[in-house]
Amino acid sequence: MQIVSQMSALDPEVASQLAEDLPPDVFRNIISTFEEDLARLTQELAAAARAGDQEGYERAAHSLAGAAAAVGAIGLEREARIAMDHRQPEPPATVLPRLLNEAEAALQALHALIN
Amino acid sequence: MPARVLLVEDTPTQAEIAKAMLREFGHDMRHAETAGAALKIAEEWRPDAILVDLVLPDFSGMELMRRLKAQGVNAACIVLTAHGPVNTAVEAMREGATDFLLKPYAAARLRVTLENALEKRALRQALDTAQTVLGRDRFYGFIGGSPAMQAVYRTIESVAGSKATVFISGESGTGKEVAAEALHQASPRCRKAFIALNCGAIPRDLLESEIFGHVKGAFTGATENRIGAARAADGGTLFLDEIGELPAEMQVKLLRFVQTGQVTPVGGTRAEKVDVRLVCATNRDILAEVQAGRFREDLYYRLYVVPVVLPPLRARGEDVLLIARHLLAAYAREEGKAFTGFDAEAEGAISTYPWPGNVRQLQNVLRNAVVLHTGGIVTRSMFPALLLHGAPASSPAAVAAHPAPPSPIEPLVVSEKRLILAALEHTGQDVPRAAALLDVNPSTLYRKLTAWKRES
Repeated sequence: MQIVSQMSALDPEVASQLAEDLPPDVFRNIISTFEEDLARLTQELAAAARAGDQEGYERAAHSLAGAAAAVGAIGLEREARIAMDHRQPEPPATVLPRLLNEAEAALQALHALIN
Repeated sequence: MPARVLLVEDTPTQAEIAKAMLREFGHDMRHAETAGAALKIAEEWRPDAILVDLVLPDFSGMELMRRLKAQGVNAACIVLTAHGPVNTAVEAMREGATDFLLKPYAAARLRVTLENALEKRALRQALDTAQTVLGRDRFYGFIGGSPAMQAVYRTIESVAGSKATVFISGESGTGKEVAAEALHQASPRCRKAFIALNCGAIPRDLLESEIFGHVKGAFTGATENRIGAARAADGGTLFLDEIGELPAEMQVKLLRFVQTGQVTPVGGTRAEKVDVRLVCATNRDILAEVQAGRFREDLYYRLYVVPVVLPPLRARGEDVLLIARHLLAAYAREEGKAFTGFDAEAEGAISTYPWPGNVRQLQNVLRNAVVLHTGGIVTRSMFPALLLHGAPASSPAAVAAHPAPPSPIEPLVVSEKRLILAALEHTGQDVPRAAALLDVNPSTLYRKLTAWKRES
């Protein structure tokens, strides 16, 4: 049951294709890079939100959306795209917790895929 | 076949995935995280393909493609985009992208897109090369796209990089000096001097000094040191036109120069080494001159290393009209006239006339038409009678090969007129050159021509 909910954080087609296209050690390296990206970009996102730096906030959200899309983290990508769209009404305080939850779920799902 | 692929991507996860895929394909790959870094790598490394993310930290992928184009980087650009609006793709293609890829992409999709882009680029390059080799209608100073001239252009290009002596032959007015200059311009010597000397137009006594220079006091009138053409051309190209006119004693000196690469000025004692690429030309049959004993055989073999044979204008098909249009535009501009072209009859006359004096004769006829007439279009009636009444009996080369038997005795004025007309015919109606061949002042010829015109 937990595996199923973790997998729903990923687009199975993208993530599985990636795992299939690349040798296991390379795929593992990519997940590590994604993890590093995630840590850095979520920090940048939170810092920009605290500082009221809209441009920095959108830039970090854009990079996060790109990284998430690359590994098929669809839930995280969706939240990042909401964050990078300045026309949407939700403030960072509402979007960020959801985004961090999706990030956590995506990581768990990717680790499950490796294992 | 492995290609050089530059990846421009600022998000590490995406970059790592693309790099892993490219490595799997066996391509030689480099990665730039910013557009600025990509420009630098592209200029130095000259990639075959560039994968361009549209959103980059310093400036956009679109702007990057514009700058790459301006920089002359002709890699196949593939745009990587997360969204797929049609207008983004259209704009990317307009900026020179070969294709675009929607992110995320599978390895197979990247492979196919990249292979297609590389194949398209290879075809484009092959087409450009073919057009350059086969379809040129200009080459340095030459105008003309005929097969005969394409062969000349290819020979010049092939030998330009070498130091081998080039021997240019062709009838008067076919562009021997233009060919020599093209050789110089296409060679690594192009930044150094191109020195042209017409051996037929320099008095015999001065030839040695003109080529090798002299020291002060070497002979009456040598009031200063003179470096001469060979030393002036050091590092560059020395063009000796009408080499067949070189007197026997100068042939010996030229042979020594060609063998040693050393120059001793007239009156000097010290030889000096020079680095000169020698180009010679003649409108004579140089081998016949060797067989007749008028040109040294050893010098012939030293000079006749790479022959370039310039075709006569009558063998160049449509080139004559291309050249005529170019000359008309130039002369109209120079003379402040409004001529913009030829009517059909005039073009017909230009195309059918055999032009024994080649391009030089065409130049004279067109200059004459522009100077003496006004209007927007050159008509047939503006051409001299010679052109309108068809071909002369034979080309100058044929005349030289089969001279009419001269009458044993004739009045001096008749002989003189015959010689002058022959010299004019030989030089394509070029009065200064005809005068040089006859060893008289050009004004003498102009005076006689005016008098004969009055008489007739």
